[in-house]
Amino acid sequence: MPDKKVTIQATRFDPDRDEKPRLQSYEIPFSDESMVVLDALNYIKSHVDGSLSYRWSCRMGICGSCGMMVNGTPKLTCNAFLRDYWPRPVVVEPLNNFPLIRDLVIDMDDFMHKLKSIKPWIIRKQEIPLGGGEHRQTNDQIDEFRQFSECINCMLCYAACPVYGLNNEFLGPAATALARRYNLDSRDQGLTQRLPVIADTEGVWECSFVGECSVVCPKGVDPAKAIQQTKLDTTMRFVLPFGTRE
Amino acid sequence: MIRRQALLHLLYWFAFAQGGVIAAVLIPVHVLIQGILGPLGVVPVVDRHYDTWVRVLGNPLVKLYLLVLIAVPFFHFAHRLRYLLVDLGVPAAKGAPAQAVFYGGAVLVTLVTIWVLLTTVPISFG
Amino acid sequence: MPANWWTRSRRYFLYVVREFTALPLALWLLWLLVEIKRAGDGPARYSPHGSAAFVVFSVIVLLFALYHSFTFLTLAGTIIHLRFIDRPVPASLIVLSQFALWAVASGVIAFVLIWFGR
Repeated sequence: MPDKKVTIQATRFDPDRDEKPRLQSYEIPFSDESMVVLDALNYIKSHVDGSLSYRWSCRMGICGSCGMMVNGTPKLTCNAFLRDYWPRPVVVEPLNNFPLIRDLVIDMDDFMHKLKSIKPWIIRKQEIPLGGGEHRQTNDQIDEFRQFSECINCMLCYAACPVYGLNNEFLGPAATALARRYNLDSRDQGLTQRLPVIADTEGVWECSFVGECSVVCPKGVDPAKAIQQTKLDTTMRFVLPFGTRE
Repeated sequence: MIRRQALLHLLYWFAFAQGGVIAAVLIPVHVLIQGILGPLGVVPVVDRHYDTWVRVLGNPLVKLYLLVLIAVPFFHFAHRLRYLLVDLGVPAAKGAPAQAVFYGGAVLVTLVTIWVLLTTVPISFG
Repeated sequence: MPANWWTRSRRYFLYVVREFTALPLALWLLWLLVEIKRAGDGPARYSPHGSAAFVVFSVIVLLFALYHSFTFLTLAGTIIHLRFIDRPVPASLIVLSQFALWAVASGVIAFVLIWFGR
């Protein structure tokens, strides 16, 4: 089919000039069935309007940079095929629930602070010196946390979460999933350092299990499960007679 | 160490989860039998006749069961409705006064249920 | 975030319905409490609720109750993680056992309510 076209409506916002964001329409050639939304944005930037701003890097679902709202749903734009939307127009907006910097670029500082607050690294009570050998793990021990370690920090789950949308103090899905990833790791001993953050008033208790975070995750992580399991585990630590109340 | 304020939320959630299980496992059959089949006369049901209802209500095990059936789910309801209000755009439902009203309401229902069960029909082992 | 966010998608809407089940269930249990209280009216004055409106109300409550049971027992399966002989028990098995528990409890309660009502 010659000259197949697709309409992209992208959010434009210049903080120096615009009062509020607006949608701008671009009609571009839909030349290849394998084109994704990110390809369309790159086409616009290269051939139509070089001032369009958006984040992207790897264009293969690894880096987690290109998350945007595509027709109202949080998506990695490198993983959203135009053929699934065509011939309808594709509306591309910045991720929900985050402050807007420019066009399709959101301010991710809040998430970065939250990510750091749960100490997403292996914590040992006593560091074993390099010469002391490796920390060994069985396959079963790895299976305990493997799915939670797939998180690429793309923040789609925060854009999907109404609880975070209503209250941005909420620790949120990805940070809790990563906290659980380390808490379940047999090499880690940092639970008591993470507990004051994940089990705080703005931690897991804020979640009302909408479950949308797990639906939109492009990597098959189940943050909703991580949060509910954290609630259960933390509760059991306190209510069971042999629980640890630290 | 978890802050004391957060511990309260832990207890709310614990009561919410307990109440949710009780509500999920016990309530539908009561509604079906006592709310629909009994009034329609499809089957005989204990609360359709004074004699059978009083005889059952006198049993202390039944009293204990009814206390669990009625009181525990209210901690679940209180939690859900408070969070639902927050979801629907009432941030005040997060605050301490709202917590006192909702969970206090569940405690009140518990006390009223105990009072009703103890005063309505005297305990008998017959 | 606009207060009508939950009308934007089917899943958000079903979530709000799930949370809303609490209200009809609470009302029905309050009715049960009244039904117990009425047993104190004495043999002459006691008459159980039985109007058509009450049956319709109960039918609506039953739909919400079933939705609550279904969602709660299903979601609980994703939360509970048990280990049996060092292997994690699959979530589907946990969900199945919870539905089995629900069925058994319902059967026993139905039997008691009907048997002692004769």
